[in-house]
Amino acid sequence: MKSTNKINTKRMTSWEKSQFIWGWLFILPTMAGLLVLNIIPIFETIYQSFFKTGDFGKGNVFIGFDNYNKLLHDTEVWRSLWNTFKYTLIEVPFSISIALILAVFLNRKIRGRSAYRAIFFLPMVAAPAAIAMVWRWLYNSQFGLINHLFGSKIEWISNPNVAWISIGIIGVWSILGYNMVLFLAGLQEIPHDYYEAADIDGASGIQAFFKITVPLLSPTIFFVLIIRVIGALQVFDLLYMVMDITNPALKNTQSIVYLFYQYSFTYGDKGYGSTIVMLLLAVIMLITFVQMKGQKKWVFYN
Amino acid sequence: MKKKILSLLITSLMVLSLAACNSKQSTAIGAEESTEQTVTNKDPLEVIIWDTNQQEGLQEICDLFTQETGIKVDIQVKDWDSYWTLLEAGASGGDMPDVFWMHSNNSQMYMNNDILLKLDDYIEKSDKIDLSNYMDEIVELYTWNGSYYAIPKDYDTIALWYNKTMFDEAGLSYPDETWTWDDLYEAAVKLTKDDGSQYGFALNPSNDQDTYYNMVYSMGGNIISEDHKTSGYDNENTIKAMEYVGKLIKDACPSSTTMSETGTDVLMQSGTVAMITQGSWMTAGFLQNDYMKENCDVAIIPFDAQTKERVSLCNGLGWSAYAKTDRPDDCWALLEWLGSKEMQLKQAELGVTMSAYQNTSDAWVNCTDNFNLQAYLDITKESSNDVTNQLVLRPYSYNSTVWSSAAQTALAKAWADTSLMKQTCIDYAQEMNAAIAKENN
Repeated sequence: MKSTNKINTKRMTSWEKSQFIWGWLFILPTMAGLLVLNIIPIFETIYQSFFKTGDFGKGNVFIGFDNYNKLLHDTEVWRSLWNTFKYTLIEVPFSISIALILAVFLNRKIRGRSAYRAIFFLPMVAAPAAIAMVWRWLYNSQFGLINHLFGSKIEWISNPNVAWISIGIIGVWSILGYNMVLFLAGLQEIPHDYYEAADIDGASGIQAFFKITVPLLSPTIFFVLIIRVIGALQVFDLLYMVMDITNPALKNTQSIVYLFYQYSFTYGDKGYGSTIVMLLLAVIMLITFVQMKGQKKWVFYN
Repeated sequence: MKKKILSLLITSLMVLSLAACNSKQSTAIGAEESTEQTVTNKDPLEVIIWDTNQQEGLQEICDLFTQETGIKVDIQVKDWDSYWTLLEAGASGGDMPDVFWMHSNNSQMYMNNDILLKLDDYIEKSDKIDLSNYMDEIVELYTWNGSYYAIPKDYDTIALWYNKTMFDEAGLSYPDETWTWDDLYEAAVKLTKDDGSQYGFALNPSNDQDTYYNMVYSMGGNIISEDHKTSGYDNENTIKAMEYVGKLIKDACPSSTTMSETGTDVLMQSGTVAMITQGSWMTAGFLQNDYMKENCDVAIIPFDAQTKERVSLCNGLGWSAYAKTDRPDDCWALLEWLGSKEMQLKQAELGVTMSAYQNTSDAWVNCTDNFNLQAYLDITKESSNDVTNQLVLRPYSYNSTVWSSAAQTALAKAWADTSLMKQTCIDYAQEMNAAIAKENN
């Protein structure tokens, strides 16, 4: 980051020049990947959203803003957007707060600390599809382990009133370890002197947590918040694996990306699928922008 | 500031990568292609199918092909939904498996867009393949503008599976050719226990071809008009049949939520339900289940008392090759092998499925002593009493995936509250008509 700032100065020494060339050379593979896999496709997506796409992507017909017009009046889209928000409202606050508390505990010197860290991080290592399959069976109302253990008859993933919470729980569980590791990294940067000083002044552990840990960790919390909100708004694999298309609760849980997938890949209507994803892009940009503005109020960079 | 820039970067990256997943898929597949281009005979032909139950038997047939020709074959199984997603993405991106199954659901779309290898010349030159040897209906499915695009693989019919132990326990006689749908309903109600440990019947909105389509057609309704242009869901007889379905769900089936979570075949295999109707393609899987072998058997599908018609849906898959494959001749050799009389017979003998090659079905019936598989064949024959036996081809249009998958989601509502059945069908008919109207035909 520092070297790129220097490039902006007017005169370059030969050393800086070689820095510049080598710098670019080193990021070239990443840039190429980014360009081919991300940047070109996004423009293609924007382009496609103005077309009625034909079979196998051939014979596209330009239809202007028709897809967007349809989108505005499509109740399914707005319901899916609402479902996505519901999921985000479960996943983000819970996964962040639980991970934060876990991180604080696992930052202390306790027996078997690395074992605990590994255990909490484990869901991150497992493939999301595998996680979803295991949970699907755990939740199964007829043969599932959860109902079996508690002797309950709850339809975890097919009752429309419960399913979105069940899905949220899987989301929280699977992302906990990742958030925790980021928080642990942040916690290590907080000098121990602060806590000693607080201790001498007679602050309790909880006071120290809220007055020292949280403010000093706020840049990390902010970072985690940003990526988790975006990640949660893009939830798909979990739903796709857990919810069958005949599931009565699908309408109340399907996310906007699920709908995008449905249109683009199941129905082969890439034009409208692209339009749906453009809506998500706009929503994510807006939310991220608001978060960026709002950070001044609570994030402390030292 | 540094962190701010960093998070901004990551933000935009994540947003972008989502939108990218559209093309990412095809790029990933494209990457495979480059390695494919240095083709040697040692590379196996890529074959994809969607039925795990058939993999073992088909692998055996393909191994024989490898022995004969030296061409290796690699069979991969995808589940039904991802199979079509993969195929569609592959066809759009220009890279497909060499040989794959085709299904009437959207064969027209694939044939019309030149995705499938045209087989006319090959068939003409071949001494092993003569299309008049296969069931006409199946050949018809894969003919487009007078050209042939697939070698018929199999055909399937529907029959009624029942749990003998449960029937014995309830003191009921087993289903037979005298059964009407009303008999099935009555028996199903009697076999349903109040404590929820046992149910008479099970069907999910996804059990279309194997369950409720049969009821609809035997009661005089239809799913799609004969010209494949109009939905039949608002047809009065279709609604009558669907209300019968609703009655069954309400009085004799596990809750709709349970059925959506657990497939009806699993419910049958675990001894939760006493009866299901299932296609002949499930037999290979049922044969591997000890509980089924011990407790269950299969009978001919019931008929409707009013129309006196006994209807089984019927369909057949075809073996197709990719039009732009690097090795069309090798692909054809495999298709020819799979379609040859010997291998069609072998497919039946191994119990994989009934074969499309005429007069090979007896071999399939004899592949096991555990089940009375004759039930699947009897429907193709004349009935003894005044009942008409009839095979109806699985309803399809140019791109049936759209409406057949939308139906499953739409009907889930009526499954949850069966009083909504009639209205759901009427509403869905409009949705389906709109979907058909949009097909690029």
